[in-house]
Amino acid sequence: MAKLRIPVGILISSDGPYSVVSGSMFCGALLAVDEVNASGSSVELQPVIGNPGGQIARYASLSESMLNDGLRHVVGCYTSSSRKEIIPLFEKADALLWYPSHYEGFESSPNVIYTGPVANQHLFPLVEYLTRQVGTTAFCIGSNYIWAWENNRILREAIGSGGAVVAERYFPVGNLDFDQVIEAIIAARPSYIFNTLIGVSSYQFLRDLRAACTKRGINQIETMPVASCTLSEPELRAIGPTAMSGHITSSVYFSSIVSKENTAFVHAYAARHPERPIVSADAEATYLAVKLLALALMEAGTADVDEVKAAVSRQVVKAPQGVVRIDPDTMHASLTPRIGRSTDDGTFEILVQSPAPVRADPYLIRRSPRFGLSTMQGVVRAAS
Amino acid sequence: MSTQRFIQNFRHSRGVLFASADLGAGTLEKTLSKLGMTLSGAESVDLTTLDDEKDVLFIDGDQPLNPSAFVNMGSSVPMAPAIGIVGTEAPSRLKLLLEAGVTAFLRKPLHAGTIYAALFLGVNGYRRVRAMENQLAENARRRRDRRFVVKAVVALVQARGLTDDEAYAQIRRASMQKRLGIEEFCANLCSRDGGIILDGWKSFDPPEWRDQTEESTDASHIDDGGGHDGHAGPDVRKRG
Repeated sequence: MAKLRIPVGILISSDGPYSVVSGSMFCGALLAVDEVNASGSSVELQPVIGNPGGQIARYASLSESMLNDGLRHVVGCYTSSSRKEIIPLFEKADALLWYPSHYEGFESSPNVIYTGPVANQHLFPLVEYLTRQVGTTAFCIGSNYIWAWENNRILREAIGSGGAVVAERYFPVGNLDFDQVIEAIIAARPSYIFNTLIGVSSYQFLRDLRAACTKRGINQIETMPVASCTLSEPELRAIGPTAMSGHITSSVYFSSIVSKENTAFVHAYAARHPERPIVSADAEATYLAVKLLALALMEAGTADVDEVKAAVSRQVVKAPQGVVRIDPDTMHASLTPRIGRSTDDGTFEILVQSPAPVRADPYLIRRSPRFGLSTMQGVVRAAS
Repeated sequence: MSTQRFIQNFRHSRGVLFASADLGAGTLEKTLSKLGMTLSGAESVDLTTLDDEKDVLFIDGDQPLNPSAFVNMGSSVPMAPAIGIVGTEAPSRLKLLLEAGVTAFLRKPLHAGTIYAALFLGVNGYRRVRAMENQLAENARRRRDRRFVVKAVVALVQARGLTDDEAYAQIRRASMQKRLGIEEFCANLCSRDGGIILDGWKSFDPPEWRDQTEESTDASHIDDGGGHDGHAGPDVRKRG
């Protein structure tokens, strides 16, 4: 039987402001392409690589170019802003974007397959863990965009009357000056700090917070740990040895998962990209997206979008994180939530994990109350 | 003004579609299903049973439309939150949707990515307009009944030799104790004699405040329906 050769766009920023994470996504995608092509299956993936370098306008122009060249499937985007920018192009061309990152939900485009987690798969488990094991007061600090805004809203709602958000502070993406807010945090002494800063801002904040606490004789890990839904293994290396440990993260994947599939994945990734840090949740989600695409193409026997969409919801993948399938109602993946704590060796110790994969609820119709919170509590301020 | 609670989760709600068969409603139905909602054609729904807390109307502006069919008698809001579906952007069609009370719109062809936003804005916009309409009706009723407050203040001033501020404060205190709005309380007082102040009111001494003391003139109550009422003495004087 003749091989089905399918060009697949890889639209991932391998450099730019959040390249520590997106770079690992790029590596995960390439590993999956290699494995599919070496497997002797009926499909050969032909990667067409576009590097937007973290610039929104480049996402649109590269997408247009790929779609004009007849590509029907593109794996890519990390930030929601880049995804939102190109979805209209995919809807117009009736092509399929395979989006492999965690995001804030409230979206379900018929032209996107979502393989990363949404709030009921990362934030709700985190709040449950923190409330039971750590404490009930949160200090929120984030980069001033949709990821932080929406997560903080959901956090407030999930905490409910059983706790309190003592403050919310936002900083421009790329901000590196956190002295004032660290003073405010130390004065407020929350049970934990909820961190939605991204990229270099997050790394700088974690280093400065740890240093400020150490200087005052405060055991930050024990008294007010930092919790997030994003911190991954490559980022621990970027934070550096003085402050990489003790951070609580909710994720569907950690490199320390003990399973045959994960061991094979970690070793294959390290062999394919020996110059890179170890794998991350984003690398796994991207690897997973490419694997699911290949399986769906094999079953459909064509790149036709409708047929591939129908086929993908019939796939069951034994992924590094566990069993994954795509829900045909929402085209989001069922994933396995876990809570981990970062260690001195740049990995995560897994504290708890869901006994089974959890179906995505992108609009939170199964968990969120009918009415939203009417009034804001605590201090809300956008820092400049 | 009290804070309006907003709806963010539309699970168990129902969309009711007023559109011709030409409208491709597949995207709408599929997206509403993701939001935990169902979609019914208007022809299969008894419109007298619409529930404005659960139902949402989707009205195609490109079809023949009688806006008054959607709006309750004597009201400017429709029977349930309404979202317009806009194809032709001609003012004549948009005007009909406006008159039908839509508070959000969806552009044809329908896109999945705009439906949650339209629902959120449409339903919560409707609730805001409905609350404002209710508040206006309540204010109009209170304004009509305000004359009874004036009558009661005058009667108490004459009966007890109080200033109008003191009289007003006593009336408020008494209405609070009866758990009645001040207008309603005063209307009840005045209706004892057919609602007409008679000469005999110079000795006006109803039992409702017979046991009132000077302490009861505390003017800090909030249950009088508005911030200005707590300082209504000069206003009463003016009207008196």
